[in-house]
Amino acid sequence: MKEKIRKHINGLFTEAPKTRKAMELKEEMIQNTIEKYEDLVSEGYQEADALQNVIDSIGDVTELFEDLKDKSLFTLPEKDRKKKAGMTAAAVGMYIFAGAVFVACRVINDMYFYMGSEMGMLGFALAAVLCIPPTCMLVYAAHMYPVYNKKEESLVEVYKEAAHASSQEKAVKRSISLIIWMVTLLVYFLLSFFTMRWELTWLMIFVGGCAQAILNLVFSLRHDS
Amino acid sequence: MSITSDILRGHTEAIILAHLLEQDSYGYQINKDIMKKTDNRYELKEATLYSAFRRLEQAGYIRTYWGDETVGARRRYYSITEEGRQAYQSYKRDWEEAKSTIDQLLK
Repeated sequence: MKEKIRKHINGLFTEAPKTRKAMELKEEMIQNTIEKYEDLVSEGYQEADALQNVIDSIGDVTELFEDLKDKSLFTLPEKDRKKKAGMTAAAVGMYIFAGAVFVACRVINDMYFYMGSEMGMLGFALAAVLCIPPTCMLVYAAHMYPVYNKKEESLVEVYKEAAHASSQEKAVKRSISLIIWMVTLLVYFLLSFFTMRWELTWLMIFVGGCAQAILNLVFSLRHDS
Repeated sequence: MSITSDILRGHTEAIILAHLLEQDSYGYQINKDIMKKTDNRYELKEATLYSAFRRLEQAGYIRTYWGDETVGARRRYYSITEEGRQAYQSYKRDWEEAKSTIDQLLK
């Protein structure tokens, strides 16, 4: 029953701004409502009636939300969000550019230099170097979440910090796995075009899979400790 | 909606301040007290109560802190400030005046 109360109030707060004040108000309402519910039950109310009674006595909470529009804790500020989106887009663009440079070098090599693979080699090296900055940018963008400010003390602080930490961890994990698969794909194509041994190079995909599995393992071990 | 509950709602803030003059308290306790003092006839909607808390807090009339209950959820207590006491006194004077005026007019 208490879970039902908690769920109901959580439901009321889905439209509320995601601020510290809103979180505190929610905790306050849940506590008061549960206490009232327990009193009613101990007075002899049926559980279902007591639940209906406490839910009815909450009233209209939407007017409360107006006061709660404060600085948001969980969403990135607009400026940072734009910056992050811009960096990700630029990184993807640079990857594509690196691929284009590589293909261009191969084409030039095949068209003008019939022997030797210096141009192809050069293309590979160039593409690899070109992949470094976007990779760094993606990693940096994943870490761009604002560090949670701990100067305000309250009951929900511990919960909020945990939620923040885990969302940050998830973001880091997501961007690492994105990098793993992009690099895997890149290396796969580079190797394939370079060696022209397609019958073997597909095994690269398993390397990506292994790296992903290792990443998952590292994160779950870190979570347990 | 009866006149009484309308008037009560209009004085939510003063009722809270009056309650906090005696001792620090929390939302449900204050509402329980209102019910007790009115023989279970009146009770504030929680939304009304909380918006009054927020207004009083913003005005600097009350302060809030979390209790240290070891069992169950922690309560959010409120205590009255010096400004709150003064506000209560002037509110009470206004109310006495309004009450006697209305009594005069309705006689």
